Amino acid sequence: MQASRARLFKEYKEVQREKTADPDIQLVCDDSNIFKWTALIKGPSETPFEGGVFQLAFAVPEQYPLQPPQVRFLTKIFHPNVHFKTGEICLDILKNAWSPAWTLQSVCRAIIALMAHPEPDSPLNCDSGNLLRSGDTRGYQSMARMYTRLAAMPKKVRSVELLQVWHGTTIQPSNMLS
Amino acid sequence: MEDYSSGDDDDYVYSDRDSLDGLENEEWVPPKGSSTKVITRESLLAAQKEDLRRVMELLSLGEHHARTLLIHSRWDVEKLLAVLVEKGKPSLFSEAGVTVNEGADSSLPSSSSVMCDICMEEVSGDKATRMACGHCFCKDCWTEHFIVKINEGQSKRIRCMAHKCYAICDEAVVRNLVSKRHPDLAEKFDRFLLESYIEDNKMVKWCPSTPHCGNAIRVEEDEFCEVECTCGLQFCFSCLSETHSPCSCLMWELWIKKCRDESETVNWITVHTKPCPKCHKPVEKNGGCNLVSCICGQAFCWLCGGATGREHTWSSIAGHSCGRYVENGEQKTERAKRDLYRYMHYHNRYKAHTDSFKLESKLRETILEKVSISEERESRLRDFSWVTNGLYRLFRSRRVLSYSYPFAFYMFGEELFKDEMTMDERELKQLLFEDQQQQLEGNVEKLSKFLEEPFDQYPDDKVMDIRMQVINLSVITDNLCKKMYECIENDLLGCLQLGTHNIAPYKSKGIERASELSACWSNKSNTTDKYQPLECGTSGGTSENERPSGSGSSDDSGCFSRKRAKKDGFGPSFFDLNLPAEGIDRN
Repeated sequence: MQASRARLFKEYKEVQREKTADPDIQLVCDDSNIFKWTALIKGPSETPFEGGVFQLAFAVPEQYPLQPPQVRFLTKIFHPNVHFKTGEICLDILKNAWSPAWTLQSVCRAIIALMAHPEPDSPLNCDSGNLLRSGDTRGYQSMARMYTRLAAMPKKVRSVELLQVWHGTTIQPSNMLS
Repeated sequence: MEDYSSGDDDDYVYSDRDSLDGLENEEWVPPKGSSTKVITRESLLAAQKEDLRRVMELLSLGEHHARTLLIHSRWDVEKLLAVLVEKGKPSLFSEAGVTVNEGADSSLPSSSSVMCDICMEEVSGDKATRMACGHCFCKDCWTEHFIVKINEGQSKRIRCMAHKCYAICDEAVVRNLVSKRHPDLAEKFDRFLLESYIEDNKMVKWCPSTPHCGNAIRVEEDEFCEVECTCGLQFCFSCLSETHSPCSCLMWELWIKKCRDESETVNWITVHTKPCPKCHKPVEKNGGCNLVSCICGQAFCWLCGGATGREHTWSSIAGHSCGRYVENGEQKTERAKRDLYRYMHYHNRYKAHTDSFKLESKLRETILEKVSISEERESRLRDFSWVTNGLYRLFRSRRVLSYSYPFAFYMFGEELFKDEMTMDERELKQLLFEDQQQQLEGNVEKLSKFLEEPFDQYPDDKVMDIRMQVINLSVITDNLCKKMYECIENDLLGCLQLGTHNIAPYKSKGIERASELSACWSNKSNTTDKYQPLECGTSGGTSENERPSGSGSSDDSGCFSRKRAKKDGFGPSFFDLNLPAEGIDRN
């Protein structure tokens, strides 16, 4: 208990110190509870998540860092390894491949890497996984991009971009219905 | 480890021979007779020393490394050596997480300070520990890590804390650090390591007695057998349920499931869990994707429950696709009624024989009484072993008979072997089997009838008559049982294409009793000799000459007599389980 607190405090200080070190990740600790963290991560470039900002919720166990934190997406995301409804993430380092040498910061980095490199063979979101598995990269990307715009972008940007989506070539309204 | 040093000379001879002969030749012929052993808490260490020592000597490793390797290969020394030859030492070691650091000093100078990546504190060298893999963290973090892992039940494979380091932590370090804070937990750790020999070894299993007798049973060669623990429990070694031969384990599992009332718990378990394909414990999925791994380490597919390849990663389920829909053409509802009647037919007969078996167990006492009455009578008949032998034969055959019904239910049903046989084939085989079953049934009932006669009140000649009948029927039922097993093994299960149904072989003399493994470990070169005096000592002076069957028994002679001598040592069994039917004949 004490060890986890001390370690989280260290991580907190580290985050404060290197705030600008990684512009893609913004880790924030809950004001009243050091075991609750949230993170904002930027969707990696050259992926359908580019331009989106995704919120993650961390629940840190008392045995941390000997046991992994529980992480889930608060922002809706269309990704094979993220549960579409709960935001649960299937990532080996959050389960049996966890090492106490990982930090919350590095977990964020791993999640960003997962966004760029989905693993469609162990899907939590089967629709998304099946698109990729059947080789329909285009379909996957347009779905993922649509949800990124719907859920992970500020309202103003979203409406403009959405219009582009609807009127652009990626998705035709008629296709959507069929 | 210390124990080995005392037997230095022997060790040398043994290792010498072993390393010279190479891998093909290291098999030794186990002493004939009972090869099943009971391992008690006391002899657990002794039981695994043989395996440990072989690995230690072949690879010149310390005990903890040998144990890590053996745990990795599930205590299968042959397999371990095969992997060693095939893949080479470095690959085997890295897979098992063994890092042997030659002469590297694990202690750090207290003057230098080390940054611990776990608590992110700078600590002085004497407060940190470097593992054999080279990773160094502070002692507090190591200790916490070990405690968490031990409490998670992972004692047998506590890995280094560094990312992507799969080295198994040195058990001495774990023990040392943990015992400083939680001596009881260190003991638990030691016990887990010791018990790995039972938990991870397919040739050793806990006796399933409740309350648990504390024993484990080790078999040699064949895991499909039925054994009796020293606590008296008889069980199927393969599936740990009660003995059920000639049913295969799968048949028996299906059968008792069918017979049992479906309680709420069972409902919950069927809805929420899937049995692990390896250890068969029900596994509940607590999150994540459909590649689920059981606490025993087996990974399987949640969708179909099938085991997945060992080389899987979290990202791909190797060699596996289960999405195909298998069409079930027949209307289940229409069949339900027919199936129910069919089940009732077999169940009624199974139940009838089980009930008779229970009633006949009571017969044992009345018969004992009758025997003692008869023995006191003025009579030229002195020997009443035929009664007890006959009674035993009755029990044995009754068992076979009652389990032959669930066997037939599945053998000739559609649940398991639908595609294995054509209708005609099945009908033919069923007739053949049922014919044998009926013969056996008829003779068992006759035997039962004769044994229930109040022979203690009969005149001598009538007793002699009954005696003849009982002895004859005993031989007949024994032979019929044998024939039925032959039929099952050769004509029914033997020609299956797909199935893997193994049944415990028929033991005419009853279920084999496991003998106790000596707690003090003896050198293997003279194990065979050592058994003899031990057995004679416990057999209470019964010499083989006193046995009526001793001479010209056509049975498997040598091993047979020794087996019996040992079993006699086991106190108050009132009938001689080991008297062969052929012997009774000449009685």
